[in-house]
Amino acid sequence: MKSEKRVKRVRRIRVENGLNKDMQAKLVILFVLVLLAFAGLGVRLIMITRDNGERYKKQVLSQQKYNSVTLPFKRGDILDCKGSKLATSEKVYNMIVDAKVMLAKEESLEATLDALRICFPNLDVSAIRTHVTQNPTSQYYIVKKQLTYDEISAFLEMDNNNEEYPDIAGVWFENEYKRVYPNNSLASDVIGFTVRGEGGQYGLEQYYNDVLEGINGREYGYLNEDETLERTTIPATDGYNIVTTIDANIQQIVEKYLYQFNEENKNAARDGNGANNLGCIIMDVDTGDILAMASYPTFDLNNPRDTSRLIGMKKSELNGTIPYDAVVLTEANIEEELADDEIKNANLANLWKNFCISNTYEPGSTYKPFTVAAGLESGKLTGEEYYTCNGALQVSVHNIKCHNYKKGGCGTLSVKGAVENSCNVSFMLMGRQIGSGTFLEYQSKYNFGLKTNVDLYGEARTDSLIFGGDTMGETELATSTFGQGFNVTMIQMITGYCSLINGGYYYEPHMVSKITASDGSVVKTVTPRVLKQTISEQTSAQIVDYCIGVVEEGTGKEARPAGYRIGGKTGTAEMVPRDRTNYLLSFMGFAPADNPQIAIYVVVDRPNSWVQDNVGFARKLCRNILTEVLPYMNIYMTEELTEKEEAELAELNITVKRANTEEEETQESQESDTPDVDENGNIDAHGGDVTSSIPVTEEEMQSDDVEMAPLTGNVLNMETGEAVKENTDEVPY
Amino acid sequence: MKYHTDNSGTEKPYIDFSLIFIILFLVAFGLIMVYSTSSYEASMSGVTNNDPAYYLKKQAVASVAGFIFMIIVSYVPYHFWEKMSGIAYVVSAVLIILVLTPLGYEANGARRWLRLGISIQPAEIAKLAMIIFVAGLICKLKDAINTRKGMIFIMVPPAIICLMVWQITDNMSSAIIIFGIAFVMLFIASRDYKKFAIFAVVASAFAALLVFAITKAADSDKFGFRGARILAWLDPEAYASGKGFQTLQALYAIGSGGFFGKGLGQSIQKQGFLPEAQNDMIFSIICEELGLFGGICIMLLFAFMLWRLMIIANNATDLYGALLVVGVMAHIAIQVVLNIAVVTNTVPNTGISLPFISYGGSSVMFLLIELGLVNSVARKIRF
Repeated sequence: MKSEKRVKRVRRIRVENGLNKDMQAKLVILFVLVLLAFAGLGVRLIMITRDNGERYKKQVLSQQKYNSVTLPFKRGDILDCKGSKLATSEKVYNMIVDAKVMLAKEESLEATLDALRICFPNLDVSAIRTHVTQNPTSQYYIVKKQLTYDEISAFLEMDNNNEEYPDIAGVWFENEYKRVYPNNSLASDVIGFTVRGEGGQYGLEQYYNDVLEGINGREYGYLNEDETLERTTIPATDGYNIVTTIDANIQQIVEKYLYQFNEENKNAARDGNGANNLGCIIMDVDTGDILAMASYPTFDLNNPRDTSRLIGMKKSELNGTIPYDAVVLTEANIEEELADDEIKNANLANLWKNFCISNTYEPGSTYKPFTVAAGLESGKLTGEEYYTCNGALQVSVHNIKCHNYKKGGCGTLSVKGAVENSCNVSFMLMGRQIGSGTFLEYQSKYNFGLKTNVDLYGEARTDSLIFGGDTMGETELATSTFGQGFNVTMIQMITGYCSLINGGYYYEPHMVSKITASDGSVVKTVTPRVLKQTISEQTSAQIVDYCIGVVEEGTGKEARPAGYRIGGKTGTAEMVPRDRTNYLLSFMGFAPADNPQIAIYVVVDRPNSWVQDNVGFARKLCRNILTEVLPYMNIYMTEELTEKEEAELAELNITVKRANTEEEETQESQESDTPDVDENGNIDAHGGDVTSSIPVTEEEMQSDDVEMAPLTGNVLNMETGEAVKENTDEVPY
Repeated sequence: MKYHTDNSGTEKPYIDFSLIFIILFLVAFGLIMVYSTSSYEASMSGVTNNDPAYYLKKQAVASVAGFIFMIIVSYVPYHFWEKMSGIAYVVSAVLIILVLTPLGYEANGARRWLRLGISIQPAEIAKLAMIIFVAGLICKLKDAINTRKGMIFIMVPPAIICLMVWQITDNMSSAIIIFGIAFVMLFIASRDYKKFAIFAVVASAFAALLVFAITKAADSDKFGFRGARILAWLDPEAYASGKGFQTLQALYAIGSGGFFGKGLGQSIQKQGFLPEAQNDMIFSIICEELGLFGGICIMLLFAFMLWRLMIIANNATDLYGALLVVGVMAHIAIQVVLNIAVVTNTVPNTGISLPFISYGGSSVMFLLIELGLVNSVARKIRF
């Protein structure tokens, strides 16, 4: 600086000349000063690195979070056969408050809380304020779970608008998936639900849990060889979707009529539902595909713990059983009755379980086709026998009545007539011809006592609920012929029945036809699986004929839907306690009669009626369901319609479809699924598949030891009907 | 410089390609570092729609606009701005006051921004305006600037703007920069050394005294957040979770980088520990990723840029042009020195961005306009 002072000559400022020498020198000095500053800062940088480098390196690593973050997978969808979603997983958002970030700037807290107040009217903002001020260092506080994108979008918009709302901070949203059931209670027993989006409970959700579940992804940090932190993300693998054989439309029709039945019959003779249980299964006879499976009462899959759905049910015990004299849950008593959480859970479990596969009961007369088929197939019956029914039959010490007992019996009946009229006496006589060995052999051929292995969670075991060779005496055989004394499940009945109808092919019943990955690729296709041949095609044709007779001539007339010819069998089963007040009504049939495509099984368990032993409950329910289901399935009507029936169909908006008048329809169907059109114009879409996949197990058509002798004997024995009145009361069932 | 010499005497404008290269390099490097530092946080935040390139895109748009303005300004004869001196001063003052009106808005805890179609910081405009204004004023006063009265006359208007920037926009660092620009310009133009040296010593002594007072004060609260920042500066680790957090994290970043750094994009500190790493603390991430080597290279680039500015200033054909370049040089030098000083905790933490590199649209745009002025001055040079 001093050297500058020595400059004597004062340079004047000349605007037009640029910087003079003094100024240039000064500028150089300035530049040097800046360089010195740079040098100083450079030294400082070096010092920081040299003196503290190692310590800071460790510090940086120690600050890292090595704990992994879970990236949730998406649980697979459950679809119906047409692809509509029965269960799906939606992305939802959990609101997380980071107090540290929110308090980083003074203005942020109020600005953020204001924004939250505006965007989430129901949010308790003061609770957030309390949390944030009391835990200023907390970084993860879940405020609200499972918000939808629509709910949070307003806030996100404000948060993103840095110009108008620059201070919003410390709120972020964590992704999660929420299980959603778009149809609420539709097929609730079949689908099942999930607890917090994972861990399926009941139905398909539980049975296919491993398939539906994906693998969580992870984001985590680790130190690599160079001691630097690496963060790795393993993306989540989404679960597989399952395509079910359920047709949501058929399911809906079935559930509509179950609901209607309940509405019409509830509180009729006693408080509560229209029946203790209602169940219905519709199955494709040629594949084992379950097209619909429904029971009543249902529950809301989106809110399975809603106890209001229990109203009308009988209260169950802690172990899940419902005693005969159980209290009916009503709006008035439900809170008090279910005050105990365990009792409440037991009752909910009862609601959640699938009646169609989990409940066992005595099937009653719907078992009769199985008995006849066993007799015919084994050769113990020829089909040409005649039986005389006087109203009751003495078996051992019991005098077992026929339903026509009061009218003096059914008279003399052919085998077909016995089926048509559901004559117990005839069947007991047939049982004597068949013998317990053959009866049991066929019972196990029909898979009774074994699980059907339907792909649903909770199928009941029935191995201890049927007779074995050592437990089946004369009485047991007699009652078993008409379906009393042993227990079955609905799925066993309809699966076995399909084999009686379709030519003897016992298909494994199934719910899932296809498993697809989240990208749409097919992981697995489930083809119909024939497990065995129960009876021959010839016997099957006879059973079909008998069952058509039941609807045309016998006890099943009322079950026939307008415009169609169907076959089937009614059942009125006594239930324990056998006090003639508890009945299970059922109808099991197939349609159309000439070319069976579907089988239907309807069960009404203890209807709410003064007179329960009225199989009309089941017949009418079946008729209602088929009236809508058959036209929906594009099965052509073959029968003339009465004016009344036409009016009924018009009211349901069902257009009458007939093969000869709707040629376009036929063509359309032909294009879609290479069907065979039989002589009646009915489309047989399955015929081709089935014949190709049958492992034919040769059944002995004829047996040498056909015993005709007992026939007359039995008939004669039957005539000892004097002591009928006294003895009937002793009937142990 | 020889290759620029045109012996034929034709009027071929001088273009300083070295300077242009440095500008392009720094801006491009800045964009890379903005992306590197911001992509992690941007991808994690709903504020930025989880777009990792959110900040990069905004900065790129501002940079392109800045280049366009730079080219336009470099073709405008710079004496046009001399006539604009007064207007520039008034406009910058008015814009600062506008921050108080509803046009102004708050971001990052301070009301410093104006929404005029695009959002800008009046303080950035004030820096440019101050360069234009002080250069014009010096050329008007000529030798009178060497008198005490003249000096005061030149320094009062910048002081007023500084006070406004400080008090109205609560932006002390910008106030210091604006004052520094005017101070350096006057220093170059003035014949005097002594007065400036005395001023510098007095200012430093005052600052030291203030720091002493704050450390001794029983209740540091009365000095406000700036007092706390000074305490945090002296011992950042004692205030690790408060005011010292950012500084300490920046030091961790620098220290953990080593000589060659962790590699571009490999910073750990930018992943949530150094908040808004793309802003004022970007230099620490440069050091973490590119090491001491990278940090010192950046400083050398700035030194080279300042050297080119010095060459242009010293060769400017008239005083006004030279002073414009001096102003720009002062602006860049002060900001670079202060920024790196803050990052290395050499001075207390105050928000100063690293020219061309830190994220900030207004900053990069007005810096490029200033370099447009420099190019405009350079075009008149005939070697």
